[in-house]
Amino acid sequence: MKELSELDFPETVRYTEDHEWAAVDGEIVRIGVSDYAQDQLGDIVYVEMPEIGDIFEKGDEFGTLESVKAVSEIYMPVGGEVVAVNEALVDTPEMINQDPYGAWIVEIRVTDVGEYDELMSAEDYIEMLRG
Amino acid sequence: MDEPRTTPLHRWHLGQGANMARFGRYDMPLWYPAGARAEHLAVIEAAGIFDTSHMAVIGLQGDGARDLLQRCFTKDLDRCQGRDRGPLTVGRCVYGVFLAADGTVIDDAIVYRLAETAWMVVVNAGMGPAVAGHLERQGGARVRVTDYSDRLGKMDIQGPLAARILARVLHDPGPVLADMVYFSCKGGFDELQTPTPVRLSDGTPLLLSRTGYTGEFGFELFVAGDRIVSLWQTVLAAGEGLGILPCGLAARDSLRTGAVLPLSHQDIGPWRFVNNPWLFALPWGDGGKVFSKDFIGAEALRQDPGNEHTLPFAGFDPRKITVGKDTFVTDLRGDTIGQVLTCATDMAIDRIGAMIVSVATPPAEGRPVDYRPRGLSCGFIKVNRLLAAGDSVLITDGRRQIKVEIRNDIRPHRSARRPITSML
Repeated sequence: MKELSELDFPETVRYTEDHEWAAVDGEIVRIGVSDYAQDQLGDIVYVEMPEIGDIFEKGDEFGTLESVKAVSEIYMPVGGEVVAVNEALVDTPEMINQDPYGAWIVEIRVTDVGEYDELMSAEDYIEMLRG
Repeated sequence: MDEPRTTPLHRWHLGQGANMARFGRYDMPLWYPAGARAEHLAVIEAAGIFDTSHMAVIGLQGDGARDLLQRCFTKDLDRCQGRDRGPLTVGRCVYGVFLAADGTVIDDAIVYRLAETAWMVVVNAGMGPAVAGHLERQGGARVRVTDYSDRLGKMDIQGPLAARILARVLHDPGPVLADMVYFSCKGGFDELQTPTPVRLSDGTPLLLSRTGYTGEFGFELFVAGDRIVSLWQTVLAAGEGLGILPCGLAARDSLRTGAVLPLSHQDIGPWRFVNNPWLFALPWGDGGKVFSKDFIGAEALRQDPGNEHTLPFAGFDPRKITVGKDTFVTDLRGDTIGQVLTCATDMAIDRIGAMIVSVATPPAEGRPVDYRPRGLSCGFIKVNRLLAAGDSVLITDGRRQIKVEIRNDIRPHRSARRPITSML
């Protein structure tokens, strides 16, 4: 397992306590899991994703990541409607391990952009991991 | 939380950036940076090494050792070797179980005949005192029981290239390896000696057995505790360029599950050793209906076996459930029929039509070019009825429901029994 100093936490995205990241672009938010999450989980072998059109609230479970070790639920950092899912993850789920910030899982149209601003900055997330 | 135990390779594991976890009382590597999937595949396609120094080794010396083992161990040491079921000879070993009088499992084990009156019993991590204590209490004159737990170093090398890699580190490998049949042993050190010495090129004596826990071709290596780090590094260096990987407990678990091997205290344990896939561990006489000897637990096993059945299963994709107290097996209608004992993902297999195909399956038997299996969940369930291979059930943890199929076997084309001449 990597030390915190060996993991990536780009400042261009925001983070949740459950180790998701969110990147906003207008009213669309892209969601994935952090480098810490993929390092902890180990090899991801299957990703369960929602359907386009599904509507979730902040904190809802929207999918799962199957790793060698266990099944992990993933939770919505913000509420909204699913407008895209990353089909590439069906055949190559390990992209999440290789490129956790490039391998987004879903894109959603946010209901309330304010929820995005409430998420943690990279600095706060690293603090949380240290603590 | 009490201090975890460690093996002599602990520092090495940490230095490699291994993801560590507690296994029993030991802090062990779950996987190394290559990842559990790569490690699992390495064992099937090349070679993997496992730190197994946490396993327990018990020595039995003396004229009374054989009788003591005959009383306590399920295999009939007079009738367990070869097609004609002869006695266990010097330099051979056999898998079986230690049962309590009520037919429940104390632990599973491999028993080695090192010499005429010298035996070695290898049991699971942490079980040395319990099994040694059990053997001592069963008494027997003329036998000395020694628990070597935490005094030895042990590592496993498993995979089709295991013999070729070992040949690079052994002194005079030709004669050592040429006749090592499945479940044989050679070499020795200190008090654990067979008649045939085996040494590394640097002179280190070791005990070598053609055994393992992956279902693939390979060996277990036993050395004095202060030699294991050097042995490990020597073997790893010898396999460089051949695809060798150090492998952790995650890969060990997924490999053994796909090979339909039980984990003690999970798939076998404090329930009667009946109605499971491992009844070959019992001493069946000719005709296969009665036992060829008496042993502790025999009477309990002769009673009506009842309706609890332990069965292997495989899923239809890599999804699995995390085994816990809220995991159940239901029939397709949703009625609970049992519990899940083990659920892992065998990365080397996938389904193609009705067949389960491995990366090791020969192309002529159905492996496509550029085969990249997603992996399949697999494991063992214990249910209140006998199901047949091909029957489907649902395994659930209360939130997720996965359909799985009862199987006789899981990962096909395993290499454990390949004749050694084809592996050198």
